[in-house]
Amino acid sequence: MQQTGPGLLSLITFLPLIGALLMMLLPKDQSKLLRYVALGVSIVTFVVSLTLLTHFKGGTYHFQMQENASWIPSLGINYRLGVDGISLWLILLTTLLSIVATWFSFYVDKRIKPYFIFLLILETAMLGVFTSLDMILFYSFFEASLIPMYFLISIWGGERRGYASLKFFIYTFAGSIFMLVGMIVLAKQYAGLHHGQLSFSIVDIQREVASGKFWAGALQLQTLIFWSFSIAFLVKCPAFPFHTWLPDAHVEAPTAGSIILAGVLLKMGTYGFLRFVLPLFPDAVQTQAVWLMGLAVIGIIYGAIVAAIQPDLKKLIAYSSVAHMGFVLLGLFSLTHSGILGGTYQQLNHGIATGALFLLVGLIYERRHTRLFRDFGGLKAQMPIYATLFLIVMLASVGLPPLNGFIGEFLAMMGAFESSYAHAFGLNLIFPILAGAGTILAAVYLLYMFQQVFYGPNTNPENMKLKDIKPWEIACVGLLVVFVFWGGLYPSTFLKPMESSIGAVRLMAIAPEGNRPVWDEPEQEIDGKMNLVYAKGRTADQVGEPLSGNETVLTKANLHFPLATPQVAQSTTVKASPNHPVDAADLGVLEVGISRNLLTEPSLSEPLQASQAAHWAAPLQTPRRGGR
Amino acid sequence: MSSYFAAIWYVLGLPVLGFLIQSLFGKAIVRVAGKRVAGLLAVLPIAMAFVIGVVLTMNLAAFAPENRAHVSTLCDWINIASIKIPFELRVDTLSMTMVLIITGIGALIHLYATGYMAEEKDYTRFFTYLNLFIAAMLILVLGNNLPMLFIGWEGVGLCSYLLIGFWYKDVANAKAANKAFIVNRIGDWGLTLGMFLLMVIVAANANRFGAIDGRFLSYDVFLPRLGEVLKTMPTVTTIMALLFFVGACGKSAQFPLYLWLPDAMAGPTPVSALIHAATMVTSGVVLLNRLHVIFELSPVASAVVCVVGAFTALFAALIAFGQTDIKKVLAYSTVSQLGFMFVACGAGAYWVGMFHVTTHAFFKALLFLGSGAVIHAMAHNQDMRNYGKLAKYLPITCWTMFIGFLAISGVAIPGVFGFAGYYSKEAIIGSALANTHANIEGVQLGQYAGWTALGVAALTAMYMTRMTWLTFFGNKERWRDIPVVERGHAHDEEHAAELVHGHVIETAASAPVTIATGDGYKFEGEALALVDDHGHDHGPDVHGFFFTHDEVHEREHADHEHEHHELDGNHIPHEVSPSMWIPLAVLAVLSIFGGWYLAQGDRFLDWLYPGGKLDYLGEVSEHPHGVNLIMLSAIAAFGGIAAGLLVYFRGLPKKEGWDESKWSPARLWARNQFGYDAAMVGAAVDGGADIATAAWKGVDIALVDGAVNGSGWLARTAGWLLHFLQTGYIRFYAIGMLIGAIAFLGWGSYFLFFGGHK
Amino acid sequence: MEGVPLIAYLLLGMFMFTTGVVGVIIRRNPIVIFMCIELMLNSVNLTFLAFARYMPMQVQGVTLPQATMGGQMMVIFVMAVAAAEVAVGLGIIMAIFRLRNNIDIDEMNLLKG
Repeated sequence: MQQTGPGLLSLITFLPLIGALLMMLLPKDQSKLLRYVALGVSIVTFVVSLTLLTHFKGGTYHFQMQENASWIPSLGINYRLGVDGISLWLILLTTLLSIVATWFSFYVDKRIKPYFIFLLILETAMLGVFTSLDMILFYSFFEASLIPMYFLISIWGGERRGYASLKFFIYTFAGSIFMLVGMIVLAKQYAGLHHGQLSFSIVDIQREVASGKFWAGALQLQTLIFWSFSIAFLVKCPAFPFHTWLPDAHVEAPTAGSIILAGVLLKMGTYGFLRFVLPLFPDAVQTQAVWLMGLAVIGIIYGAIVAAIQPDLKKLIAYSSVAHMGFVLLGLFSLTHSGILGGTYQQLNHGIATGALFLLVGLIYERRHTRLFRDFGGLKAQMPIYATLFLIVMLASVGLPPLNGFIGEFLAMMGAFESSYAHAFGLNLIFPILAGAGTILAAVYLLYMFQQVFYGPNTNPENMKLKDIKPWEIACVGLLVVFVFWGGLYPSTFLKPMESSIGAVRLMAIAPEGNRPVWDEPEQEIDGKMNLVYAKGRTADQVGEPLSGNETVLTKANLHFPLATPQVAQSTTVKASPNHPVDAADLGVLEVGISRNLLTEPSLSEPLQASQAAHWAAPLQTPRRGGR
Repeated sequence: MSSYFAAIWYVLGLPVLGFLIQSLFGKAIVRVAGKRVAGLLAVLPIAMAFVIGVVLTMNLAAFAPENRAHVSTLCDWINIASIKIPFELRVDTLSMTMVLIITGIGALIHLYATGYMAEEKDYTRFFTYLNLFIAAMLILVLGNNLPMLFIGWEGVGLCSYLLIGFWYKDVANAKAANKAFIVNRIGDWGLTLGMFLLMVIVAANANRFGAIDGRFLSYDVFLPRLGEVLKTMPTVTTIMALLFFVGACGKSAQFPLYLWLPDAMAGPTPVSALIHAATMVTSGVVLLNRLHVIFELSPVASAVVCVVGAFTALFAALIAFGQTDIKKVLAYSTVSQLGFMFVACGAGAYWVGMFHVTTHAFFKALLFLGSGAVIHAMAHNQDMRNYGKLAKYLPITCWTMFIGFLAISGVAIPGVFGFAGYYSKEAIIGSALANTHANIEGVQLGQYAGWTALGVAALTAMYMTRMTWLTFFGNKERWRDIPVVERGHAHDEEHAAELVHGHVIETAASAPVTIATGDGYKFEGEALALVDDHGHDHGPDVHGFFFTHDEVHEREHADHEHEHHELDGNHIPHEVSPSMWIPLAVLAVLSIFGGWYLAQGDRFLDWLYPGGKLDYLGEVSEHPHGVNLIMLSAIAAFGGIAAGLLVYFRGLPKKEGWDESKWSPARLWARNQFGYDAAMVGAAVDGGADIATAAWKGVDIALVDGAVNGSGWLARTAGWLLHFLQTGYIRFYAIGMLIGAIAFLGWGSYFLFFGGHK
Repeated sequence: MEGVPLIAYLLLGMFMFTTGVVGVIIRRNPIVIFMCIELMLNSVNLTFLAFARYMPMQVQGVTLPQATMGGQMMVIFVMAVAAAEVAVGLGIIMAIFRLRNNIDIDEMNLLKG
């Protein structure tokens, strides 16, 4: 793709860094000035990032607002940014939580200047992760986010900050080394197809993956590289066996650090799965998904069980993050539309709810300098507003409808159930069943926490002096509570813009080669039924509009069921005309065939014969590979 | 015409509005206009919703039976390509029946609560929760899709949680609230999975359902064709039915999951009447009615429903005999009556289940409110052993409750007239005995359940007689025996100390007494608070509150006029205020005539299931062959009452008095729920904690962190081993270099001279 | 000059080198050790020069003229490095002496692990 100048995305990404540079010039004893400058910078960044919404076009899965500049041409490394429906909300989440974190950091009174500088650098690194489309650029930001976080924990942290920060750093660093190796292999693999020209651009690589050339005859290598990426992202998530850095880091980190850590840094892991793993390793994803779902479910149950016995508020919430991120993973690897969408939405909700929980814990910690349950009790009478806010956020975390936590969990579990149905209720039926048990356990530990802190007699004389939280603190929490309700009552605001991207990512993972969407193919589009269509001559202004005219359906999505073994059958192509719009009935989209008999019952095996071929329709014509 | 039914949104919107007013402006209203106005503003929306509900129901009744279902959509909630779930309400006979019960009885109970809670500090918080509950319950019954039902389902659970823990300063209440929420969540788990299973079935057969717009979980989409599709897959049907039944068990307190309901009595009494008797706990029956097609097609699941219902009815009725707390008796009675409803649903007589829901709502709300009036009059003491001959002091309460007692016992003059409970209970037993649907491989479990239910009906009459006579009649005003304890003086120290340990103190006259408490849960907390009470004047108030710093300060300056006195020998009970007895009177009238009216000419059956026919079971008979049902019911009711009078006519028998060593072991065992609760809670709490600790210590700390820290240890150990090579002497390093150089050269030469030729 | 065979230079170089190695290992005075190191360097220089004189470089069978002076250049290079090394080394020794009033290398074992 041709070179472009710097644009909106670069501006958003580097605004905090510019702010940090500016702050370096300020005198270090002007604490008030430093605080307000930092807050100002994060607010400006948020406002600028809001303009993404006006520029962003829903209904398309292609990257928008792309920027491309040559960085190291000989190695095929470019400065390439872009945003799609998945990263859009994560960028906004990052800028929103940065405001909250910076605002709350007004409590920090030790070495203020470097603190806020690190916070702003961290924001740039996080935004960079979500905007970059080049693997090396992504990796740089991914690792760059470790450094300010390391310092935030190790300088402004709690008592065991040294151990915790080192553990955090080494754990995640060790994980991502595998990813770097995987990236180099991908680039070399690409070079093998392009006369030795390396490329680290995921857009380039994905084009070859979609056509099937990339991994031709290299299934074992694909599986290996799949795991090398997966380990990096599993550590970051964190999923079950790689999670032990999280409680330590959370407990020792300053409050703002915890908010950012839970709210955004963990999302880098799940984002990585969406951006790299699902689109780039389709065959491996289908064979290995069951393992990742297994890890996810273990994480859900295990995190919940262990959370229930923690004596420390932050540790409890940290373990609850392990459980909640398990739902994200479960949804993503169910490979159904509801599941992936629910998982993606759940990561936003987890960012909001858990960020708010850490914020609330921070508020009480600043007053009492303890987070142990046994030091609390009966705070509800003392701090009614605080208790109410805490209750709302806690219930969102429990997954109570219609708060935001419910939607993601519900869809993710639904996806897992659909996926097990498609496998004729094999062993993986256990995933949704256990995940459901996880929601019971979520109630157990979160209600226990609430009871310990807010109910019962207030017997501690220290607690009797507590006053309710101040207006600015209410505003700070309220900023997140608004989204708790919004996300639960009207999730369409957030789901609609991401749906096409999710549909495309899902088809990239499960459609047979040659029928997968290509990021770099402007004439392909995803329609409202999540079918991949060849929308010839459609201009950028028309994306998202309903199908009309001579548009060809390339891949029919089976929204509910991932396929264990994708079968390409007869070529059926449906033409839409104004009088006869394409709908599900035409396509037989929802007519389900499943790979095995369901519990020996005739009616479900019947559509199997009838629509064995209905999973996928081969393309009428091979889509042109754009521009080459 | 369906746009007319869009008015249903006002029914839902009014409680929501009330909730917003109470939560946002409640405190200000109390400050400016007083509690009376705030209470009125809480009652009014519910009453208005009831009026609108009545009008809508009458309009609905004007339609032909097959056209009595209307859907009104507000907007999309979840709208994605794979599923669409709009906010949509369904006006049909089932939902409107529930709407009338919820708003009607809800308005009465709200009115009652304005009197009952008048002394409460957190007045508006109570009505905030109560209004929210009504809204959630309305969503549950009105929602046109299962996820909306689930919103209500969880919403009522939340309100139940908040209201049980309303007096949160007592940890026991908070724990009861937690228990209710968590046990309910187990049921929700079943409901969720059942919903998913239903969803995939509908999605997989979307063309047959005509569900091309993706509203897979909306009733109007899946209900008409569901039976047709499920008919061919009995196993899936049974699994689905059982999953939904797990959900119903949780909410409706059936056997494995009933545990939370008795504990839920920790909440204020109006809450017990509204949530834990009349409305929320019946939502399981509503769910079964809504999805009756699934159960119609699964005899196995129906048999399970019957058996669980009958067993729960028997189990809870037996436990009720061991209870001395008046609210606990009513709580177990509720569990037992819910079991009756499930027997009917299992037998295929779904409308009978709803019939009993309705009549039960009348008389159980009456009984609970009456018990609240008694508790209110008796200084918040709930132990029936302190009551007796209260009919003299509380005539209105007594005789309205007596009507409730007759109604729940199923008293009737056969063939002429019966109290509300008679009609529904007879229908339950009859339909269970007549049915052949609920069977597992030919074993007619449903009929066994019917016989059990008949026996339990007798037991019900008996334990209700026990409750009524212990409270209102008998030969003695037993609270007169309680010694007058003056609080705040040093000489009480001994008593107080005894109270802490024994709960029961022997006075000089050796008359056993108890200390007056808010209810059984607050016992120890109160007593402890009494101990550290002398000296300052901030003892516990009537609800077992512990005060915050500010409140203590406030109270030190307040006059002692409002000081609540405890129940003792000097206590004189007073009849309650009109705001409290008017609801009692209304409910009493309903308990007398409600059942008779609804049963006339199958009125209720025709309303819910026009023509009295089910899709797959056809007409469900309530008249078993060869059984004289009228005779048997009458024998059960009158026999139970007679047996009860035989034992309790003279008041409290010695064998059930304060001295528990005289209790029969069976009664003690029943009092402890046959050990079930203790075993379950013990297993869950202690066992859970053990598992969790083992997991944390074993996996997290030992295994994972062990591996992580172990790799660090490995590196350090390797370094320690190598440190011996670092002597610090230059010559040692030089020799090392020399040896290395020689070795290298030697290796090179070897290849140069010997290896190179190969 | 013509009469001295190549092997004689090599034997002398070997003797000097061995002496140097043994000196480095057994002596405790850093100045002596330096001298031994110089001895080793010079033995290498001697060997370079001997080979440069007797065995001119051959590339692909063609003998290059002596004017390429490869060996001699290497010697100059080694001498320059040796001079620099001595300069630095003596400086360090001076500094240590000022610090400790002692330059016995067995006393200097800060690197002991």
